[in-house]
Amino acid sequence: MPEESLMTDDVRALIGQAHPLMNVQVTRRAYQRALDVYLEHHDYGPPDGADVPGYVIEALDSETEPPSIPALLPQSLLISNEWQFERPLRMGEELEMTHRIVDISERFGGRFGYSIDFRSEVALSEPASGAVVARSVRTMTQYSAADARDGGER
Amino acid sequence: MSAPVFAELREGDELTPLELRPNLGQVIRYCALNWNFPPFFYDAEAAKKVGMPGTIIPGPLKVGLIYRAVEAWLGDAGFVRQVRAAHRRPDQTNRPITVVGRVARVYEEDGQKRVDLEMGIINEAGEPSVRGFAVVQFR
Repeated sequence: MPEESLMTDDVRALIGQAHPLMNVQVTRRAYQRALDVYLEHHDYGPPDGADVPGYVIEALDSETEPPSIPALLPQSLLISNEWQFERPLRMGEELEMTHRIVDISERFGGRFGYSIDFRSEVALSEPASGAVVARSVRTMTQYSAADARDGGER
Repeated sequence: MSAPVFAELREGDELTPLELRPNLGQVIRYCALNWNFPPFFYDAEAAKKVGMPGTIIPGPLKVGLIYRAVEAWLGDAGFVRQVRAAHRRPDQTNRPITVVGRVARVYEEDGQKRVDLEMGIINEAGEPSVRGFAVVQFR
């Protein structure tokens, strides 16, 4: 365990930093690739403008480069993730996407010993209104294996 | 399976369990979808070096499997507003897992009919590997 907190001002300054907007499109190819992952088969897909399953979001959020996260501790692990939809994604629609770190927090004790959680978010918005359509949120924790204990839940 | 009817749903109603055996091909396709290739997802020796028992299923793939179970239950009665997964234990590829769920709350909010679902993934030892949550909105 480090002798002092690793949450320096430089680390805190990463909170809220957004990568520039970019445009993405819910393409038939993105739809089919997502189905191949989650259903292990795909079809041609619905007509333009029709709803597509939420897991297509995974085919879109890799279109942006995630914000750079400093390696403060040697190990890194995904501890939670979440998708939120204000409405279903639609085949063929174009959306604006931003990627940002929404929170950084540290924990003392527990399965990982001292650890630092990085919560990041990809937001997809309607270009005309700016209304958020969907979000993909994930929390990565950094820890030192030397301080972690085996088994059990966090 | 018929779609659920909002007015008939009760707290504690269970979703039909979804039994799956995610395989290495699925994991590699997930890595390609995301264009992210940590070796412990597809190389058993690399996985063992980081303390895993073998190649493991990526967390976002597991949240999608929870989504799939909810979508299969909901049918065309509405859409999935939210799905969340807290990853508690790794799940290995080519091992059976079961996605389970139950109705936690039936309510109306912002003029919409919504249902909260407690979700989970159970491994072959009967342990929860993921604790999940979902919100669906009825049409």
